[in-house]
Amino acid sequence: MKKIKYILLATIIATIWGCKPEEFGPIVGSEENFLKEMQGTWSLTKVTQVDQNAVSNGWPYKQLDITNIYPYKELVVSFQGDASGKPSTFTITPGNSPKIADLNSGNWSVDNTKAPTVITLTNNGQTSTLTLGSYANLKNGKFYLKREKKVNGKTILVYQYEFTKK
Amino acid sequence: MKKLILSIIFILSATLAFAQVTLSPATFTAEDEVTITLDVTGTPLAGTQDVYIWIFSNSDLPAEIIKKDGLTNGQWTNSADAAKMTKTGTNIFTFKFTGTTLFGQSPAELINFGFLAKTKDGTKQTQDYKPYKFDPLVFVPMQFRVFPSKMDQTDMTTVYFHQDLATDQNLQRMFDVKVNLVFYNDATPVPAVVATRTALVTVKESNILYSYSFIPERLITLTAGTKLTKFTYQFTGSVKDANGANVPVAGPVTEVVYTPFN
Repeated sequence: MKKIKYILLATIIATIWGCKPEEFGPIVGSEENFLKEMQGTWSLTKVTQVDQNAVSNGWPYKQLDITNIYPYKELVVSFQGDASGKPSTFTITPGNSPKIADLNSGNWSVDNTKAPTVITLTNNGQTSTLTLGSYANLKNGKFYLKREKKVNGKTILVYQYEFTKK
Repeated sequence: MKKLILSIIFILSATLAFAQVTLSPATFTAEDEVTITLDVTGTPLAGTQDVYIWIFSNSDLPAEIIKKDGLTNGQWTNSADAAKMTKTGTNIFTFKFTGTTLFGQSPAELINFGFLAKTKDGTKQTQDYKPYKFDPLVFVPMQFRVFPSKMDQTDMTTVYFHQDLATDQNLQRMFDVKVNLVFYNDATPVPAVVATRTALVTVKESNILYSYSFIPERLITLTAGTKLTKFTYQFTGSVKDANGANVPVAGPVTEVVYTPFN
């Protein structure tokens, strides 16, 4: 009986001793991960127009794949980083594709280095912004950007761009 | 004969009366901001510096439809300052509003609006200008539509012809479907034609659906600084006559006003 008591006591102590907070890795990637993964040369592989008015009103005809109407797939974008991996320069080579931003070269930056949502392109005081879509597939070589067109702050029309790493 | 003359006089006077009013955008829902531009030339308010709007909803509709005066109206003999129209030129006045806000009614309750212009004390006024319809917030299937519903001159636009929804027999039977496009600039008071493209071959997406997609700057040559304010589209094609010969037919012209994004 005494032995059982000792065994129970030892088990309780071992259990309590073993209950320590476990250290988990970060849920989002470190800033180097996303920013470094975004850097490189990307080809535009899909363009979708989304009618936000139809989406919010629950109407049919919410979106349209316009990739093949004009040669969007000729467009290539390159995001470069400096030696420390921070965003530096970008170039957009449109080929015969309609333009997706107002600038074709300059510098790029992000609003949040750990979880970026907005990419700002700048050149000689001019700026153009693009919104980042899901970056869950960055590791698989897919990258999504959005361009939103607004009236008095309300998003009316969205262009969704899918890029594939070259 | 007397009736005919009276009818012509009535139509002409109605046309002239409406010619004084411009709405921007041309089509709008009860949740959109609308700018009324009124030319009071030839009315009792011509030459007046301070003009006030007196605006009302659901004019000339059955009694069960709720009608309201604009919240900015004030009293007839003492218009509120919020009802003062902005003078933008000689005899030209503008007023901006959003239907749901101005009338305090839901989009479902708002069918149309009308207005008149007056002096603050109500001793002078114009005639009524009405009715101007609000676009529904629910989707209404129509034989012609555009995607997206709002765009500007830089956007990809697709015009559609749903042949199964056509009510005209010729349009129901039309084949070899093409489309005409006409683009207009921002000239005032009347936008001028910038370019016309005719007989553009459509894509037959199914047996009942035809479409044509374009970006204006890819389709027409725009000189630097040209601002497009609207375009029209018209589907055309052929039908067979009694002898089996092709006869050209054309649908109605539909106007699409560009949205100024900001």
